[in-house]
Amino acid sequence: MMTLSLAVRNLLRNRRRSLATLLAMAIGSTSILLFGGYSTNINYTMHTEYVQNGGHLQIQHRDFYLYGSGNPTAYGITDYIKILAAIQNDEVLRNMVLVATPTLQFGGIAGNYAAGVSRTIIGNGFVAEDINRMRRWNDFGLRTGSPVFALEGAVADAAIVGTGVARVLQLCDALKITRCAKPEKEQKSDGKAIPDDIAQLSQQETPAASGAAGASSRRIEVLASNARGTPNVASLQVIRAEEQGFKELDEVYVMMHLAQAQKLIYGKSPTKVTSIMLQLRHSDQIPEAVARLVPILAQFSTSQPLAVLDFRTLNPFYVQTIQMFNTIFGFIFALIGAIVLFTVSNTMNTAVVERTVEIGTLRAIGVRRAGIRRLFVTEGMLLGLCGAVLGVVLALVLSAIANQMGLTWSPPGTVEPLPLTLRVWGETGMILSTTFGLICISILSAWWPAYRAARLDVVEALRHV
Amino acid sequence: MAVLTQVEKTYHLDSVSVPVIKGVDIVVRRACFTVLMGPSGSGKTTLLNMIGCIDKPDKGEVIVAGCKVGDLTDDALSDFRAQNIGFIFQNFNLLPVLSAYENIEYPLLLAGASSKKRGERVPKLLDAVGLGDKAKYFPGQLSGGQRQRVAIARALARKPKLVIADEPTANLDSETGAAILALMRQMVERYAVSFIFSSHDPDVIKAADDTIFLKDGTIHGIRRKDEETVP
Repeated sequence: MMTLSLAVRNLLRNRRRSLATLLAMAIGSTSILLFGGYSTNINYTMHTEYVQNGGHLQIQHRDFYLYGSGNPTAYGITDYIKILAAIQNDEVLRNMVLVATPTLQFGGIAGNYAAGVSRTIIGNGFVAEDINRMRRWNDFGLRTGSPVFALEGAVADAAIVGTGVARVLQLCDALKITRCAKPEKEQKSDGKAIPDDIAQLSQQETPAASGAAGASSRRIEVLASNARGTPNVASLQVIRAEEQGFKELDEVYVMMHLAQAQKLIYGKSPTKVTSIMLQLRHSDQIPEAVARLVPILAQFSTSQPLAVLDFRTLNPFYVQTIQMFNTIFGFIFALIGAIVLFTVSNTMNTAVVERTVEIGTLRAIGVRRAGIRRLFVTEGMLLGLCGAVLGVVLALVLSAIANQMGLTWSPPGTVEPLPLTLRVWGETGMILSTTFGLICISILSAWWPAYRAARLDVVEALRHV
Repeated sequence: MAVLTQVEKTYHLDSVSVPVIKGVDIVVRRACFTVLMGPSGSGKTTLLNMIGCIDKPDKGEVIVAGCKVGDLTDDALSDFRAQNIGFIFQNFNLLPVLSAYENIEYPLLLAGASSKKRGERVPKLLDAVGLGDKAKYFPGQLSGGQRQRVAIARALARKPKLVIADEPTANLDSETGAAILALMRQMVERYAVSFIFSSHDPDVIKAADDTIFLKDGTIHGIRRKDEETVP
């Protein structure tokens, strides 16, 4: 108690120096926390986006993730309805799983024959209602909401394409896409209707839609290899173009109703899906959900090896981004930690020199070396504690101000600008670890001056001028 | 109270060795007011430091309060000083961040004394040194004489057997110095504690029971009031 009281008074003795040290620490702590708040928000934003679009977990054929991009339909899941039912009937999973929805991915070619253009695409079939439910997941309380998935309530042959697909297929005017650069020499259409052979194929699978196909400027034909290996065509009505964030994806992405995609790939054969997306209430339920899913899937794995992959495995870009920000955070912490180390160390060294006679006096009247060490380390710890706490307060105030300013930014892979949010408030773990880290650095900084003070010869210290 | 036998001490300054104490034998008597007299550089402070257990001789033996202090570890020496020795410095050496009361209380806190014991002891000491009304004053708010009174009270706080004072009146005017001397003399009688201090002020000799004359690191004479001068 006496050591603490003495340490406080010693710090107050040279207020200007203590204040300068405190401010240096506080600014350091604030910088760390603001950057931490920024990177936390990126983490939460990306986390939310991936969970909203792909769920926490996906049940797939064991080899689909690594080999499925070449031929997705070769890795289809049979009995997916039974798997979904088993999940819904499991008393533990039932309470954890918010949405369980099947999807079908396939490769093909989309063509706008009226314009005489086509391109390879990745087609995806979704249950639109489920996707909209998934898009409502917001466990981190982000201020931004996801747009409604336009396929819900749309006609059976409706499709959504990436803006890149729309651009290449020359659908910009029809879809009223404003930012859609046209080539200098626009490829002229010969005005011919869809070729007869393609029209025939299309009619086999989509007889109802084929009548309007040639007339509508929003119609595209999607050619895909069906499960039997023969070509099949679906005529789709593009209802909307959505930017996908990445150019590579934007130029190949086509979404449609799951039933439509299954009809294209499987026709009248028993249908399959390429994955079952599971969205949980909370991300920390992933390990428990996986443990629960493994025995359930084992029942269906006799003829098809199934695997459960979490969203981190499915989205390595997310993991890499978080790792990158963690590395930058660590680098910034190390830099600021070094500044704090030298600042506190300098302050304490000066204090030792100034108080040499006092140290000699304390030693003479019976204070042990450990007592001297304790006194200076306590002073360093107090500097660290006060500086870090001041930094937390500053960071909370500055982040609150910044969050109210309405600033926006566009993180990689997103289309719409997002609110610039610095998530410091509520991030107890980050605040405590930063505070604890800076206090430890301060103690470490004070250790050497304290050790030096304790080693002083009493007589020499008393003689010091 | 303190016995020094054939004590030698040499300081090494770069490549030069300076012998400051050369085979000194001293006996500091219990409850006596002992003065080390001698010119600057005679070794007074070095002898005091060794008697006060903050310095060690190169040769010889130092026994304080019946304890061979040369055998003690640094921590044990610290504890020994805290229990047996009080210090009064020429420049008072009070802790500037503590009040007069707290400066006197500090050694008691080091000893782990209860707040009740501290609450009884400190005001008594403050009264004894005539500063009962200055308890809350900080050293910076006190005069030199008052600071030295606080230092005397601090030195006596743990009821030591021996108080070491290195030229305690050197930084005081003659009137204040005389008052401090009288106070220390009073404390010797009141608390039966041995005082040993260094001085080259001839007036101090009058107040001393024993006077040890030092020159060039050797004893040139010892005068005890109740005995004849020993050459």
